[in-house]
Amino acid sequence: MKFLKFALVFAAGAFLARAAGPHRLAAQDLEPAQLLNPPSDSWPLYHGDYSGRRHSRLTQITRQNVANLSLAWAFQTDQPAEIKSSPLLVDGILYFTVPDNIWAVDARSGHLIWHFNHPTTIGEHIGHRGVAMYKGWLYFTTPDAHLISLNAKDGTVRWDKVLGDVRRGYWSTMAPLVVKNHVIAGVGGDLDNLPGFLRAFDPDTGAVQWEWDATTPAGTPNGTTGGMTWVTGTYDPVLNLIFWGTGNPTPVLNGASRPGDDRWTCSIVALNPDTGVLAWGFSVSPHDTHDWDAVETPVLVDADFHGRPTKMLMQSSRNGYFFVLDRTNGKSLLTAPFGPTNWALGIDKQGRPIPNPDKEPKPDGRFIAPDEGGMTNYRSPSFDPKTGLFIVDAHPSYSIYFTKPADGNYGWAGADYGLWGKGVIEAIDYQTGKIRWSHEVGAGGSGAGVLTTDAGLTFTGDSTGDILALATSDGRTLWHAQTGAPMQTSPITYLLDGRQYVLAGSGGVMFAWALPQGAQSADRAEAHASKK
Amino acid sequence: MKASSFVKSFLRVAFPIAAVLLFAGPLIQAPVREVFAAASVQASSSAQPGPQTAKTEPPPPSVAATARKGPELSPEAAAGAALFQQNCSFCHGRDAMGGETGPDLTRSKLVLADRDGSTISAVVREGRMNGDKRMPAFQLSDPQLASLVAFIRARVVAARAMHGGRSGVDVADLQTGNVQSGIDYFNGAGGCIKCHSPSGDLAGIANRYQGLQLEERMLYPRGAKSTVTVTLPSGNKITGTLAFLNEFTVALTDASGTYKSWPAGAVKFKLDSPVLAHVDLFSKYTDDDIHNLMAYLQTLR
Repeated sequence: MKFLKFALVFAAGAFLARAAGPHRLAAQDLEPAQLLNPPSDSWPLYHGDYSGRRHSRLTQITRQNVANLSLAWAFQTDQPAEIKSSPLLVDGILYFTVPDNIWAVDARSGHLIWHFNHPTTIGEHIGHRGVAMYKGWLYFTTPDAHLISLNAKDGTVRWDKVLGDVRRGYWSTMAPLVVKNHVIAGVGGDLDNLPGFLRAFDPDTGAVQWEWDATTPAGTPNGTTGGMTWVTGTYDPVLNLIFWGTGNPTPVLNGASRPGDDRWTCSIVALNPDTGVLAWGFSVSPHDTHDWDAVETPVLVDADFHGRPTKMLMQSSRNGYFFVLDRTNGKSLLTAPFGPTNWALGIDKQGRPIPNPDKEPKPDGRFIAPDEGGMTNYRSPSFDPKTGLFIVDAHPSYSIYFTKPADGNYGWAGADYGLWGKGVIEAIDYQTGKIRWSHEVGAGGSGAGVLTTDAGLTFTGDSTGDILALATSDGRTLWHAQTGAPMQTSPITYLLDGRQYVLAGSGGVMFAWALPQGAQSADRAEAHASKK
Repeated sequence: MKASSFVKSFLRVAFPIAAVLLFAGPLIQAPVREVFAAASVQASSSAQPGPQTAKTEPPPPSVAATARKGPELSPEAAAGAALFQQNCSFCHGRDAMGGETGPDLTRSKLVLADRDGSTISAVVREGRMNGDKRMPAFQLSDPQLASLVAFIRARVVAARAMHGGRSGVDVADLQTGNVQSGIDYFNGAGGCIKCHSPSGDLAGIANRYQGLQLEERMLYPRGAKSTVTVTLPSGNKITGTLAFLNEFTVALTDASGTYKSWPAGAVKFKLDSPVLAHVDLFSKYTDDDIHNLMAYLQTLR
C-alpha cells in the first residue's frame, strides 16, 4: 500500500515535470484563433475571454478547501501608483501595468523577467488597465495617448503610433482588444470638449485600419462631444460584432448646449470589428449630466431569458441601472436599478431611464444618487452560469451636483460633491433584476473587481484591504486575507503545472494565492534543478 | 480562554500574511472610514523624460491656452502647470478649480492660508488618506513642489480676477430655501430635533461653517464618532470610541487612548452610531427639504 502510494506520487510527479518543462521555454506566441477558446493555463485577454464574464472553469480551489488558500508569491512593483490593471497570462508569463510601466513576471514564481519603464511627461497619469497581445507582440497605451507595440520576449519597442492628440486633451489608460488582425484601442479625455473614438490598428505595421467616432466634432450645432472609450469591450465571433461602452458627454455637468439624447455618449454600441461600422447603439443614460460613463463591461451571455434561448448582453452601469439587451439587435430585455437612484422619472418603452430635468445640476444644488463615481465603475463584474447570477461590486451613494452660468460650457462645467457611500457585493438575478444576495464590503466603497469559478467561488475585495472568497450561492465569506490596501484590480485565475492560482493587485503589489503545495512542490523543484 | 488573549494589536498597513480565518459573522455597517474608492493618480517619480521612442509631436500648449483665461504664467508656474496636468488635474480640474472628486483649490482654506508653500507641499508629499480623504502621496522634489505651488497660486489669482463670473459654489448660491419650512422640517418630518437643538449643539453653527461646507456637514457630518461596547467571552464589557470595523475585526479606542481590537466573530458588540440617522434621511429628502433646512441653519448665528 505504501509502495503504491509512492508509485502514484512518483508517476504524477513525472507527468507534472514533463508538463512543466516545455512550458518554461515556450516562445511567447499567441495566435488570434487561440483567443476564441482560451485554455485554463492562460488569460490572454483583458477579460480572460471575449465574453467578459470573468468566469473560470477551474475547480481545484473549492468551497471546502478555500480556507487553506495561502500566498504563493507577491510581486512588489516598488513605485507609488496603484495597480489597476488586469494581467495577461500567456505561456506562463504575466504582463501587468501602471501608467508608463509594464512588468513581465513568471506566473509560477513571481520573479521579474523584464520591466518596461518609459516615463511620459505629459498627459493624464490617472491609471492603467493592462496590455493586449497578438502573436509575439504586446500593445500598450500611454498617458500621452500613444499606442506602443513591444516585443513580448524582452519589452523592446517595435513601433509607436499616435492614438489621440494629447495637445487637444486625449489620454489613454485602457487595454486594447485584439480581434483577428485588428488591435482596437480607445481614449479618455473628459477635461475638454472632445469626441471619443475607437481606432483599429494593423498589429504588424500599426497602420490605422478604421476609426469610429462616438460623437460629433466640437462646435457642431446642438451636437455633443464626449463618449470616451476607456474600458475594453467584448466580442461575439458568431455575430462578428464588438460591443463597447462609451463615456459621458461633454461639457460634463452642464447639458444646455447639447440637447437631446447625446448619442452615442453613455451608450452601449455594437460595431463590425473589420470596418468599425455601427450595427446598433443603445443609450444607457440619455442626456447624462452626472458623469456616469457607460463603459462598464458589456458581458455576453447565451442562456434562457424568460424561457427562450437568447444571445444577451448585460451591463451593470455607473448610472445605477442593470441592463439586459438582445445583443443581435440592441433591443432591451430588462432594465432595473441595482441600488438607490433618484434621477430618473421612469423607464421608457425602449428600456432607457428617462432623465428628470429637475435632477440636472443647478446653481443651488441637486441631491443625487448615486454619486459621480457611480453605482459601480471600471472594475469588472462577473457572470456565474450555474446560478445565473450577475455579481457586481456596487456603490450605493449620495452627492450634490451644482452648475451655474459662470461654470461655462467647457469641460467639467460645474461642481459635485460626494456625501456618503458604501460598498456592497450584489448578486443580481438577470431574469428579474432582483438582488438575490448582497454582502457589505465597507464604508466608502471597495472598488474591487469580481471573479467567479465553476467551484462556486466568488473572489473580490473589501474597502479595508481584504481579498475575499465568497460562496457564489449565498455570498457568505469563506476565506479572506489582509493585503494592506484595497484591491483596485479585477482578479484573474489560471492553472499552471496542476496548481490553480488566484491573482489580484492591491496598492503596488500583485498577490498570487494558491493552495499549499503538496507533492507537486518537490517535483517542480526537481524539474527546475535538472535543467541547470 | 482568558479574555485578554483576544486582545491583539492590529496593524492595518502591514505587509500581508495569508491569514486564514473563517468568520462569516454579520457585517455591521458603520461609517468607520469614509473611503471613496475613486481613481487615484500616479505620481511620476521623475519629471525627466525617459528614453524617447519615435515621437515627433510638439510639446503641449501651456495651461493658459486650455484652462479658463488667466494671467500669463511665470516659467516656474508653467513648469508646475505641466506637473499639475499629469498628476492633479483629473481630480482637481485642469484649472485647479475642482473636477472629478477633488475640491476647487482656488477656494481651499489650506491653500489660501499657506504663505510659504510649506503646507501645500506637505499635503502633496504626505497625501490625505485619513478619514474621508483619498488623496495619494506624491514623490516630488523640492523644485517640483515649488513649481506646483507657483501654479496653484497663479490659479488663485486668476480665479479672483473672475469677479462676478466666479464659478464653483458660493454662499450666495445656497440661499433659495425658506426658513419657516426649514424649521418645520427640522421639528417635523426630518426628525432633526431628536438629536439636535438650535440652542444647544447647533447654536452658532452658521458662524462656524458657511456655504457648501455647512451644507455638506448638514447632510452627512464626516468624522462623527460612534461608540461601541464589546462584550468579551468572560462577560466583561469594554466601551470606547469605534476605531475600526469590518466583518473580521472590531476595534475601539478606550478612555486612556489605547487601541484594542478583537476578531469580530469572537466577541459580541453593540454599536451606537447616531450619524446613521443622516443616512436614513437620504432616501427621503427632496431638494426643497435640503434648501429649506439650509436656510434655517444659516439663521443660527
